[in-house]
Amino acid sequence: MEPAIETVGLTRTYGSLVAVNNLNLQVQANTIHGFLGPNGAGKSTTIKMLIGLLRPSKGVARVLGKEVKGDDPRSRLNVGFMPELPKFPKHLKAPELLDIYGRLCGMDEAERRQEVPRLIDLVGLKGRENDLIGKYSKGMQQRVGIAQALLGNPELVILDEPSIGLDPVGMVEVRELMKGIAKEGRTVFLSSHLLFEVEQTCSHVTIIHHGNILVSDSLSNVSGMIHGMPSLRIEVSRLTDAVVSGLRALPSVSNVSTDGNAMTIELGTNEDVRAQISQEVTRRGGVIVSMNVVEHKLEDVFVQLVSKSDAAEGAKQ
Amino acid sequence: MTASDRTRQEKRGPSRFWAIVRYELLWNLRKKKILVVLLVAALLEVLLLALTPALLNIIGEAVTQNPDYVVSTSIPGYITFFFGMVIVMNSISGEFESGTVVPLLAKPVSRTTVFLGKLAAALLTLIPAYVLLFVIQVVGGSVVYGPQGHLYLVPLTIAGAVASTLVWMAIVLAIGSATKSSVLAAVVSVAIYFGLSFASGIISGFQGQSWVLTYLPGGGNTGYLIPTATASPSLSSISVSTGPDGIASALTTFVLYPSYYVAFAMLNISSIGSSGSLTSPTLTVISTQPLWYVLLTAVGVALGYIVVFLLIAWFALRRTQISE
Repeated sequence: MEPAIETVGLTRTYGSLVAVNNLNLQVQANTIHGFLGPNGAGKSTTIKMLIGLLRPSKGVARVLGKEVKGDDPRSRLNVGFMPELPKFPKHLKAPELLDIYGRLCGMDEAERRQEVPRLIDLVGLKGRENDLIGKYSKGMQQRVGIAQALLGNPELVILDEPSIGLDPVGMVEVRELMKGIAKEGRTVFLSSHLLFEVEQTCSHVTIIHHGNILVSDSLSNVSGMIHGMPSLRIEVSRLTDAVVSGLRALPSVSNVSTDGNAMTIELGTNEDVRAQISQEVTRRGGVIVSMNVVEHKLEDVFVQLVSKSDAAEGAKQ
Repeated sequence: MTASDRTRQEKRGPSRFWAIVRYELLWNLRKKKILVVLLVAALLEVLLLALTPALLNIIGEAVTQNPDYVVSTSIPGYITFFFGMVIVMNSISGEFESGTVVPLLAKPVSRTTVFLGKLAAALLTLIPAYVLLFVIQVVGGSVVYGPQGHLYLVPLTIAGAVASTLVWMAIVLAIGSATKSSVLAAVVSVAIYFGLSFASGIISGFQGQSWVLTYLPGGGNTGYLIPTATASPSLSSISVSTGPDGIASALTTFVLYPSYYVAFAMLNISSIGSSGSLTSPTLTVISTQPLWYVLLTAVGVALGYIVVFLLIAWFALRRTQISE
């Protein structure tokens, strides 16, 4: 299947500053692909080049198989885009804006008549249709941004920080919305600072830093790439040295750290050794109150990769 | 390209254009821009109509009937400039200043369509203002100066005024599009307008050089209508402006006097006669041109400015990189 987004050697410079450096990115169709990076990593610059708002200094970007060329609007057909903190004309009402944008997306009147109220309802703006956008809160304007990105059922939806300004309920709704889009066989390209949001919604992740891709793979591969082995978090009623030394002696345990009556046990195997651990704790006189598998967070991977990249950059200088 | 893509891209082309026109008109309407322009047009016209009778009244004279008041009264250059500036000063730059340009240009619409749609909306804002202005002029002119003749020339006058205003619109759009600043567009264009007006005053003092004004935006050079190429003009002759701002009056004058000429003359303020007393001012003809040539030159110069500055505005919009 043709990738929804493909960039080859995509580069954007501002004088001596390299904002995006030789980016080779592939976003598979029908996936939710997270695009992560610290502030100034080049995420928004990359997205603007994909949309045709910004010309690359070098390289090629293809969106839904069409090369993005200057002002050619054909590459934006079937692409919905929500910019970071979108700004809309304050003098328009949300249905008016969506109607105008719908026409720009090539929707006919019948489509717009059906689609505009549906989207207003979908993003939770029903009842506020007659207010001017200028009177909307930041979160409501964000909802307008999401609605306009979904006009015309685009095959690819590019969302740049869609959850900024939304309340917790709104954030959950956005996540569900993205999952729904992917279920319909469409593609979501999500740029976000919220790692838990990416973790909960994305199947694939790309992390960029200083304009370079640090990693681009499925979420499970990325999450497992730093610590290959899982950890256990155990709380016991009364932690003794005997329990700790007994656990440390087990071949399946690589390290044990304590915090009051709690222990974090780093395992040396991917096998499920919870029963063995439990037996050892009991044998040494301990009583387990709780035991949880600590999954490796995307945040750990993100921080580690970015730190490594910064260290490498520092060494170069 | 899929069949659905083709339908959306090709069949909806005009729809995209009209969507931009509606978008811009709603902006003009809700931001009260249309209202301001209409109000200013109405107020200025009422003021102009009331001024002459009021002044005559002060000196104790009655208003004389003038059936040609409407067709002989040209729209002042400051009105064409003011309308042109107010209507388009933030058409393009405002989108950049407010950040609304990002979602707009992210839609499958070309910047050329956006540009043309905004220009069309500006014209649709301007034309009603001129129509209102002339309606007041016709009604008020009939009340003050008696029944008016040649009213069939009014649409032509409006067309001429629109062309004159388009020159200023193009200049303001070009500045706004290049600088992305509404304030700069307004300030620089005001500076250009007053600079040119000031320079025109100085240049017209050098009678031999005043032909230059014909090729600058604004009122241009002033000549006097004469029936034949060799006739002598008098100060009471109908005056004709050569610049882009004078297209409307040049057009109506041409329809009324198609075979006439325009004499460009030097004004001799006073001279001492043989009896030693001062004589009244006289005119010394410098050059003479057929009226049709003067009109054609004004239209050509206006078209030149419109095309050049609109191209600059369009090119600046097309080349703009949106990095913010």
